[in-house]
Amino acid sequence: MNELLSPNQVVKSGTGQPCKVIKFLGSGGQGEVYKVDWGGSEFALKWYYQQNATPEQREMLQRLVSEGKPNDKFLWPEDLAFADQVPGFGYIMRLRPPEYKSLNDLVAGKIQPTYIALIVAALELVKAFRSLHIKGLAYRDISFGNAFFNPATGDVLICDNDNVATNRTTKPCGVLGTPDFMAPEIVRGEVQPTNKTDLHSLSVLLFYIFCFGHPLMGRKVSNIRCWDTPARTRIFGTEPVFIFDPGDRSNEALDKQRDPTGEAGGWALVYWQLYPKFLRDTFTKSFTVGLRDPDRRVTELEWLNTLAALRDAVFKCVCGSPNFYDPEVAKTPGAHPALCWHCKKAVKHPFRIRIGKALVMLNADSMLYPHHMADARDYDFSTPVAQVTRHPTDPNIWGLKNLSGAKWVVTLPNGKLKDVEPGRSVPLAENTRIAFGRADGEIRY
Amino acid sequence: MPERPGGSLAKRPLQFIWIVDCSGSMQGRKIESLNLAIRESIKPMQDVADENPNAEIFIRVVKFSDGAQWHISEPTEVHAFKWSDLDAGGMTDMGKALTMLADAMKVETMPQRGLPPVLVLISDGQPTDDFKGGLKTLMAQPWGLKAVRISVAIGEDADLDVLQEFIGNPEIKPLVASNVQDLVKKIKWASTVPLKAASNPASRPQGATNGGSNVQIPAPPADAKPTSPADVF
Repeated sequence: MNELLSPNQVVKSGTGQPCKVIKFLGSGGQGEVYKVDWGGSEFALKWYYQQNATPEQREMLQRLVSEGKPNDKFLWPEDLAFADQVPGFGYIMRLRPPEYKSLNDLVAGKIQPTYIALIVAALELVKAFRSLHIKGLAYRDISFGNAFFNPATGDVLICDNDNVATNRTTKPCGVLGTPDFMAPEIVRGEVQPTNKTDLHSLSVLLFYIFCFGHPLMGRKVSNIRCWDTPARTRIFGTEPVFIFDPGDRSNEALDKQRDPTGEAGGWALVYWQLYPKFLRDTFTKSFTVGLRDPDRRVTELEWLNTLAALRDAVFKCVCGSPNFYDPEVAKTPGAHPALCWHCKKAVKHPFRIRIGKALVMLNADSMLYPHHMADARDYDFSTPVAQVTRHPTDPNIWGLKNLSGAKWVVTLPNGKLKDVEPGRSVPLAENTRIAFGRADGEIRY
Repeated sequence: MPERPGGSLAKRPLQFIWIVDCSGSMQGRKIESLNLAIRESIKPMQDVADENPNAEIFIRVVKFSDGAQWHISEPTEVHAFKWSDLDAGGMTDMGKALTMLADAMKVETMPQRGLPPVLVLISDGQPTDDFKGGLKTLMAQPWGLKAVRISVAIGEDADLDVLQEFIGNPEIKPLVASNVQDLVKKIKWASTVPLKAASNPASRPQGATNGGSNVQIPAPPADAKPTSPADVF
């Protein structure tokens, strides 16, 4: 019952250009996807099943095509497609390159990206959905299945954009979302998807990425024999409780001793302890007050600040495994940092630099970006302005190299001033202060 | 050095059972075509399992003709599953097959936690024994009640009322295979789409009620119809 179109069949794009089917790629809930040749280049074509090829869907697609993509992370509908011999319609979008993997592969443990790649992927996802929301649109079906990422770099691609619509539209919405990611008020049948319900789905997605479990699947799930729609409705809709809710332990995460299957938050419990308090607080807000009150959900901007700070907090233990610096522990008298999760030994923090509100770990491969230097942060980590380097002759001396186009003025620990021209480095030493031009930094140890 | 502590999502087992009519009327091309259809469905079922980090799929097979028996009794993980051909001959003791199924659906024989089982009944005729009694026994088991039940009718002689009663949901109709090519398509659909729905529900369409069922089964795509007299039909 598949293959609505056949290889070599020619359909026409909305602008009348021929679009030739190369091969069938796969099928989903609403239609089938083909690789096609359109104007001499390869694209993907989604063709709807007859029952899904509705006038509303066609109108929505038409609007998305004219609107254009919110940013380059979206495999956005580029044009509609029609055929003389086949009923219905489809739309053309860019093909997903093979190096982009499904988030399914991540949570199934099939790919092992670095922590930095994971954090970059999370930042990119939040930025992408923010750019969509800023345009007045809602995505309405954020889930594992609709986001892909490159495990080497963390770069993301968002597909299945045909459910995107104007936020708070009163027109029939087509989809309600993917059950595990739906906001409780949708699961209970009270509302249609909006940008506020997107925020819940986004937080669930981030929780899966960082904690390898569902934020609402704890003790209560372990008492459910059959995991079906009524069970999901209870856990995600009518009785949702965060597995780390500080005020309600009725659905707490169970460790492997108490729940050997790991389904009731076993892995989440392992990961939760790794993270700095500011990340745990953001998740806690998402799934306590944010769960009950859609107007108090964690916004994309809060997520961007949290994830950028998490990126800055990564440091390598001497054993080589990444750990996270927790500023809260550092300023609490008598508190000690957690042992390294891997070698179980006390961690040794690297040099770090305080620039305004940001505190950045200076690992052997750390870089600073314009994002760190300005009040108006752009969460862009593509072009560095500074890089940690090793002294060319003395490997025990580390420095910070000026990759920017302007000189830095450095106040050395002894109070002397020194200019650091582009391409030159300043040695890493406690109490060194650097005037970057747009911001001032202070190195700590 | 490890980058992260590792881990993967916990999986729930999903029991998938084919219940196959091997009566005399299935002899010949029907049973041959069915053997091929199921064989061809295994890879797509493995793909469903691969795409789903939450489920582990186990397969069993019940056959019925004169009486009923397990054709493959051990729940076999989908990647290790191997089809062995069925032969046909005898009566249509569908009721006995459902009674056997009821035993397998008992709380004490099923895993402590699982996904809704998927039961696919394939038949070309009328039951010759107590179908209603068998169905009642099956439905008396909580897992029988929770199971996604799908049926495939082969040819015009199949008893659609019986197959509908097995499904127990007016919004899901038996899939009718009018010829052997069609049978391959219908069995492939019945083997994969309900499996996906029971294990990893996709985007939920607005307004879908699914007849009050506990699993959202997408409607099967409409049969291809010619749009011009020149089309091959």
